[in-house]
Amino acid sequence: MLHIDNLHVSVADKPIIKGLTLDLPAGEVHAIMGPNGAGKSTLSYTLAGRAGYEVTGGAATLDGEDLLAMDPAARAARGVFLSFQYPLEIPGVPALTFVRTALNAQRKARGEAEIGAPEFLKRARATAAALKMDFEMLRRGLNVGFSGGEKKRMEIFQMALLEPRLLILDETDSGLDIDALRIVSEGVNALRSEGRSMLVITHYQRLLDYIRPDRVHVLAAGRIVASGGPELALELEREGYDKYASAA
Amino acid sequence: MTGLRDALLSRDETRLPGRRDEDWRWTDLRGTLRPLPAVSDAVQPLAAFDEPEGVQVRRFAAPVTAGTFDASLSVAAGETLWLLDRVDAGAGAYARDLALDITLGEGATLHRLVLAADSADAVSVTRAMVSLAPGATFHQTVLATGGKRQRIETAVAHPGAGARARLDGAYLLADGRHSDQTTILDHQGPGGTSEQLIRGVAADQARGVFQGRITVAVGADGTDARLKHNALLLSDRAEIDAKPELEIYADDVACAHGNTVGTLDAEVLFYAMSRGIPEVEARLMLVEAFVGEIVERIGPAPLQDAARAFVADQLEALRR
Amino acid sequence: MAADQDTVETVAALAGEKYAHGFVTDIEQEFSERGLNTDVIRFISAKKDEPQWLLDWRLAAYERWLALDEPDWARVHYPKIDYQDLYYYAAPKQKDGPQSLDDVDPELLATYAKLGIPLKEQAFLAGVQGSPRYAVDAVFDSVSVVTTFKAELAKAGVIFCPLSEAVRDYPELVRQYLGSVVPVSDNYFACLNSAVFSEGSFVYVPPGVRCPMELSTYFRINALNTGQFERTLIIADKGSYVSYLEGCTAPMRDENQLHAAVVELVALDDAEIKYSTVQNWYPGDAEGKGGIYNFVTKRADCRGVRSKVSWTQVETGSAITWKYPSCILRGEGSSGEFYSIAITNGRQQADTGTKMIHLGANTRSRIIAKGISAGHSSSTYRGLVSVHPKATGARNFTQCDSLLIGKTCAAHTVPYVEARNAHAQLEHEATTTRLSEEQLFYVMSRGLSQEEAVQLLVNGFVREVLQELPMEFAVEAQKLVAVSLEGSVG
Repeated sequence: MLHIDNLHVSVADKPIIKGLTLDLPAGEVHAIMGPNGAGKSTLSYTLAGRAGYEVTGGAATLDGEDLLAMDPAARAARGVFLSFQYPLEIPGVPALTFVRTALNAQRKARGEAEIGAPEFLKRARATAAALKMDFEMLRRGLNVGFSGGEKKRMEIFQMALLEPRLLILDETDSGLDIDALRIVSEGVNALRSEGRSMLVITHYQRLLDYIRPDRVHVLAAGRIVASGGPELALELEREGYDKYASAA
Repeated sequence: MTGLRDALLSRDETRLPGRRDEDWRWTDLRGTLRPLPAVSDAVQPLAAFDEPEGVQVRRFAAPVTAGTFDASLSVAAGETLWLLDRVDAGAGAYARDLALDITLGEGATLHRLVLAADSADAVSVTRAMVSLAPGATFHQTVLATGGKRQRIETAVAHPGAGARARLDGAYLLADGRHSDQTTILDHQGPGGTSEQLIRGVAADQARGVFQGRITVAVGADGTDARLKHNALLLSDRAEIDAKPELEIYADDVACAHGNTVGTLDAEVLFYAMSRGIPEVEARLMLVEAFVGEIVERIGPAPLQDAARAFVADQLEALRR
Repeated sequence: MAADQDTVETVAALAGEKYAHGFVTDIEQEFSERGLNTDVIRFISAKKDEPQWLLDWRLAAYERWLALDEPDWARVHYPKIDYQDLYYYAAPKQKDGPQSLDDVDPELLATYAKLGIPLKEQAFLAGVQGSPRYAVDAVFDSVSVVTTFKAELAKAGVIFCPLSEAVRDYPELVRQYLGSVVPVSDNYFACLNSAVFSEGSFVYVPPGVRCPMELSTYFRINALNTGQFERTLIIADKGSYVSYLEGCTAPMRDENQLHAAVVELVALDDAEIKYSTVQNWYPGDAEGKGGIYNFVTKRADCRGVRSKVSWTQVETGSAITWKYPSCILRGEGSSGEFYSIAITNGRQQADTGTKMIHLGANTRSRIIAKGISAGHSSSTYRGLVSVHPKATGARNFTQCDSLLIGKTCAAHTVPYVEARNAHAQLEHEATTTRLSEEQLFYVMSRGLSQEEAVQLLVNGFVREVLQELPMEFAVEAQKLVAVSLEGSVG
């Protein structure tokens, strides 16, 4: 599904990603682990198309389509979803309005019919209930006054309603207590399916106890320096990133 | 009498206010009316307009070339009135000076919504002089879409004595339009409160102007006066000019004003786009939310609905 | 209730009477003829032994001035000035320019000693170990009396001398920069100054040099009916740094005296200029009789990339202050700062603030202005923040706070904002409050007298600005703040 080939990315003229290659087949969950400064967030922002992340070489395709040539909205319409490490607040735009606007914009871009308000509300209620979210909160400005945990839950809520095909989870566990982590992980696991792939970006192994990856990659100094099965995450937890720092 | 009226009636172009006049520095009328058109009583026909229920509506139509209008209104003691003043345009070029007197009796309440929809070639000045009795409540919201020169001025004589004034406003400007919202809040006696929130958006080559003067007279102790103006520039060719002023002659007061000018937050824009909302839609959504706060502060539902519809129409003009 | 009524009355009654620098120096002086005409300008120019180009420059300025109107937009009121009733030049009589302190009239030395201005270099050296040193240019009416530490500064390549000396010794530098920041006909008072300026300081800091000590000029108006029209020019060449302080006092006189100065600063690439003012001109008495009219044009041109100019002013004196130290942020990434304390008491009127003109990309400015009004005085902050179309990424933050003590004073805030770039962020906040009774009570309940309590709170109010002054002057300024509002004892 996602194919990244020898990707180079600079931020403010400083090379951060330096030749990253990665294959994420449909239906698989891959974890990307690495020390601070390895380029984890740069990778997720680049895939989502944030301005200021300049691709200086290589390619990234989604089902053969050039991802890097699209603007962020077009990528989303193709099924890319980035769960932000620090979700933003949008005063004056209720969460429900926001998600419905996004959903219908995506559908329109794909040539699908818009979803009417009653049908959307029905889905939103069910999703909120599954994520144990207060529905009234969804009528307030998006993320305004939300706690860190509530914001992360709001990301999963959006993800569940937008039904993306490629999920990029950027440090989704940061700032979550153990109960919130369980609820959020359950939300993510509920979305695992044959046609959907996930890139789970994390510093700690903890999240991977809840979201079991098929493969684990170690990102250091802008490159994948090691890949393996889930056992690699446990090894990293025991031994740290030191040996990869030198490998990079 | 403003310079515009003077000039219109005397047909003397040199009497128009211009950028050398301190209070008109950003709303230069000089040169916009050369030669001065003759004052005419005929007005341009208006498009149909659904009048909201429970609301007194006044429509001030556009003169064919140039005109001056006066109107007064008073709300009796203890009464409540919902008022919609629609400053309407047909089309084409015209000059107008509209002077409105509004008086609120003791304990009276007035919710006033001004919808200023001048034509792109209009030179239009609307002045309201509002006088409050003790205990009166005056809530005003001005929504403006600009003209060649558009000025909406509200002067409130505030007696203190438990009276409350709230002057809100928003301007949404596209193309080469200009709009000036000027407020003068004159706290003349002790124990008054006032609050102002003005939001503005200027796109293309538009120019938004806000001037807000709060004066607190000698002896007007216990005055609490606050004013905020926030503006967004959506284009490098647009301009925002602002002058929030405090003129204080009493010591036991709490007065504050704040002013910000900026643009849409790039990070928020990216967040919205990463959810699949195209850039134009995302911008409009954020602009709508920015101005929406003004609309939501309007108390009476029919006025709020009318305001929301007006804003929605104008957002379409910003879609590009 | 704000400050106790007694406090307010005592503060008001004390206006002017506590002015410590109000004495007159009895010294023989030489004057130009009274009034202003081309002969007077030729007289001043001849006295200074000026080259023809400068005389022509003055005469051209005079021509322009005749065509200008006195500005009336400031919130200050004063009777019409009779410009023909003033003396435009006054100087202590002495044969030639003093070569050393020994040549200076002892009466003058006594004056500066009384004002606490150190003119003897050894006085510093003999002082407490590690005590800060600073170089002084002492200007008495229309001439510079002495400039200290010149030799030591010269070693570092720094030029610090009276402007008239610079015209003689460094004519190319003066000619290149004089009037390049404040054009001759910029405004009425600046234009007048260009015609009749008589003295001021000149500073040039060469590329890469960090000026080894604080520079300061001390201005003293002494003569009766005499205007002071000094002109200061500071040039910080690439990568240099200089900190400059200006102090001012005048005798107590019943007549108003005019002070119309021009200060021009030029900062080239990566240069930084820190300009501090402690203005304590005679403010007039409690009834508003006498005092200095302080109509000053100060402007910095941040011409170079990443250049920086910081204005700090403590304005406690003058009957009328009309002054807007400004920054033209031309160089990409340049920055300007304005920190101000303006205190008015008695019948003083101050209309002061700044202009930050953002021309270049990524320019920054910061304005912190604190106004305190007492007695029957009036204090206005007037400021302009302007962002031009090319100033992408410009940022401004402005904070203006006014404090009122008593019911007969006034405080005004008039900020102008003009934004013409969609990638700029401008933020302005302003408050007007009284001295809080609750805070006063709280502080007094901890054992402070009312006067101490008021001083403590006022010092807290202005602290942010005082911190910006060079340390040795911050203490002085803090005392001045206290004296200006003295009488806070109930």
